[in-house]
Amino acid sequence: MSAFEPITGRYVTITAGGRPHRIYFEEAGQGQPVICFHTAGADTRQWRHIMNDAEITARHRIIAVDMPWHGKSLPPEGWQTEEYQLTTDFYIEVVLAMVAALELENPVYAGCSMGGRIALQLALNHPAPFKGFIAIEASDFQPAWYDIDWFHRPDAHGGEMGAALVSANIAPQGPEAERWNTQWMFMQSGPGVFRGDLSFYTRDDSLVGKLGGIDTSAKPVHIMVGEYDMTCTPEDAKRTADAIPGATLAVMPGIGHFPMSENPEGFRPYFVEALAKMA
Amino acid sequence: MARADLLPRLTAMGAALETRAHLHRLGALFSETVLIEVQGDEYYLTFHRGALETITPGPSRKIPWRFAIRVDAEALEKFWQPIPEAGFHDIFGFVKTGRGSIEGDILVLVKNLRFFKEFMALGREVQA
Repeated sequence: MSAFEPITGRYVTITAGGRPHRIYFEEAGQGQPVICFHTAGADTRQWRHIMNDAEITARHRIIAVDMPWHGKSLPPEGWQTEEYQLTTDFYIEVVLAMVAALELENPVYAGCSMGGRIALQLALNHPAPFKGFIAIEASDFQPAWYDIDWFHRPDAHGGEMGAALVSANIAPQGPEAERWNTQWMFMQSGPGVFRGDLSFYTRDDSLVGKLGGIDTSAKPVHIMVGEYDMTCTPEDAKRTADAIPGATLAVMPGIGHFPMSENPEGFRPYFVEALAKMA
Repeated sequence: MARADLLPRLTAMGAALETRAHLHRLGALFSETVLIEVQGDEYYLTFHRGALETITPGPSRKIPWRFAIRVDAEALEKFWQPIPEAGFHDIFGFVKTGRGSIEGDILVLVKNLRFFKEFMALGREVQA
């Protein structure tokens, strides 16, 4: 008997930023839709364990999306002469276009790191299509403690450097294989993509001072943060949660910036708890 | 915390490095001198093609180095625990927590980051 996983993948073309984008997404399960977004420099594979979790997928349709330029989603036509720079507006456009393309009704949004930042942006500015928001390793703003230009140079491998840098955000308690799988995605990231993601993540401070405007009375916001995350620290997440009336916070011990990928067993109960808060 | 002579430990890390074939590959282009300074005690580590060739204790104002890690002894000892606590699990944690600094040609460090991090982590496996 072959060991097939329940995850299936498809492609759909959406329009964002005024151009078509061929998007790859994976899904598993049925029930409450949960649309999941990855961190900077990575792809849907970060969500592989959640999509393979039979108990979770028994009542949830877990969908993970490769952002344009990431994973198996191609960059747009003409990319070869462009400088990739992600923006908040483009990211939001992609999320809303995917919700529409997949005709999702009342989905939960879950995102990690830059995806977590977008959870807060959606909760503030575009809450209508969503049932609630799970914001993982999420804060209002994180300036860089590194030089983002390191990760796109003609004389070095940006992916290998990026992976070695983000390993600082992976907790030592996770299984060794999963910690290295987590780094592999960064090693595979396209040239300049991690840098282009970080340019948005480390410079867009448009949420600062606005978190109090998020209304959690009808659309819950749950923030999760790993103890070992040095990019979005537990203090950063707490500062963010405290600024959102009604938001809840979970600090995950022995976990870093990539919880669902680096330590799936450690992350699982916290994600189940987060889903329950969205019900 | 009393300062310990790090020379035996750094020497053992160099010997452990010799046994790691994958680090020979990763460090194949790394031929640099690195300063590790712990509360004023200087150690100049000279690597050649990924092998630790010499460790020269300071003080010295004559040995050029490419990049330096300066950290307090307690933070370094925490870094070398088998399961380091959060903030002490990575060399960049020294900077983030304010317990140390990384100076010099950082790009050379970053280009060889996996190699150098794995070398530093060998301190968790050798006798203090």
